[in-house]
Amino acid sequence: MLRLIKAESFKLSKKLKSWLGPLLIMVLVLIAFPLSIDISQYDLDKFYFSIIVVSLLMTAFVATEGMFEEDFEDGSLEQEFLIEKDFYKVVFSKILVYVAFIGIPIAFIGALFSFANGVAIVSFAKILLLLSLSNLLLFNLFAFGNALSINKGAMLGVLTALPLALPVIILLGRAIRSIQFDEGFTAIIALMTGIGLIISAIMPIIISAVLKTHID
Amino acid sequence: MITAFIHKFSSPKSFVNLTEKIYPFLIIFGVSMLIFGWAWGLFFAPQDAVQGNSYRIIFLHVPSVIFAELIYFFMAVCALMHLVWRVKLAAYLIKSAAPIGAMITFIGLFSGSIWGIPTWGTWWQWDARITSTLILFIMYLGILTLHGSFSNLEKADRLMSILVIIGVINIPIIKKSVDWWSTLHQPASISVSGSSSIDPSMLYPLFISVIGLGFTLIALGILTSRSYIFTREKNKRWVLEHV
Repeated sequence: MLRLIKAESFKLSKKLKSWLGPLLIMVLVLIAFPLSIDISQYDLDKFYFSIIVVSLLMTAFVATEGMFEEDFEDGSLEQEFLIEKDFYKVVFSKILVYVAFIGIPIAFIGALFSFANGVAIVSFAKILLLLSLSNLLLFNLFAFGNALSINKGAMLGVLTALPLALPVIILLGRAIRSIQFDEGFTAIIALMTGIGLIISAIMPIIISAVLKTHID
Repeated sequence: MITAFIHKFSSPKSFVNLTEKIYPFLIIFGVSMLIFGWAWGLFFAPQDAVQGNSYRIIFLHVPSVIFAELIYFFMAVCALMHLVWRVKLAAYLIKSAAPIGAMITFIGLFSGSIWGIPTWGTWWQWDARITSTLILFIMYLGILTLHGSFSNLEKADRLMSILVIIGVINIPIIKKSVDWWSTLHQPASISVSGSSSIDPSMLYPLFISVIGLGFTLIALGILTSRSYIFTREKNKRWVLEHV
């Protein structure tokens, strides 16, 4: 398992475009959105979370877009499939590395920008935790969508994964309200952690079945 | 034993032979019931005390959304059969049911929108029930697009089945959305086990409309499935003999 995580980390670190691109998109959207519409600071304080949530959704999708495609095209996915008895471990480590390399930095950027827009400093850790958990869920779901569409383009990936991601967004919206009104945050975080753990355990198995179908 | 049973009665040839004589009766029965239910509901059922005549859209809206969910559930059962027992017919049925499901979900959303204007004062509201039904509609489109993207149809069948099974999580969300969240939609008025809060003079035509639409959709499903089976199995001798 550690070998797989090391290998995936090494591969992703070499693909500058794959991890730096989503981070830059996140920053760009968070800066560009308030500039592009003339809204007051009061409105911005109220709506900035929505901008973060939408940016998170977009960035998570962009980040996972080529997760399996390149490996599938150059045959390394097939090779891993032949070598590794438990293929889901390959998928699990890939998602884990993507969340660590891209998901958590994106969550950090989101939390930083919310802090810069009038959120109390005590909420910073809460938002960071919340966005990181959301990214764990979104990366798993988008990985599934992209595994299904593999080399058939992003449009198909969006169509197949977005309906599954929308409940996460609804949950995220509730969690954000709980931060804003300072009530029920622990319960929502516990719920999201539970869902995150279940999805992280099940999704790699499902994705490996999808990839197996492609390889077969 | 179950496997033997499934394989015996689930070959495309058996399905075509079995449905050969049934579907004309299903169409006649379904359409007649639908016309009867709608005529009763539109012309003979009393006005609603609060909503007046605008409530009459329930005779289209309620059956549509019931079958939008039921068709997806049926597809999920077929997907399971396809993945576990490798039943080809199950994949054919999913592929044939998906456009019907998408169509009926759209009708449900559209009729709900029309009903929304006199009752809520808006065409659309980001309410839990409506949003989750919209997700269901996108799921149907996603399933169809996914299947259409692959030239290897066996691969497309398997991927489609996996997506259908994953997407089934949306069905209990739609069903329970009115109980879990505070939404504009009222909680369920019709109950299979307990007493319904809707008056019998409105309930009976609604019930007939549901049965009528159900049989019509089954007949439509059989027709599209047969057509799809003939396309997919066109090189088989039994198809050539049959056609």
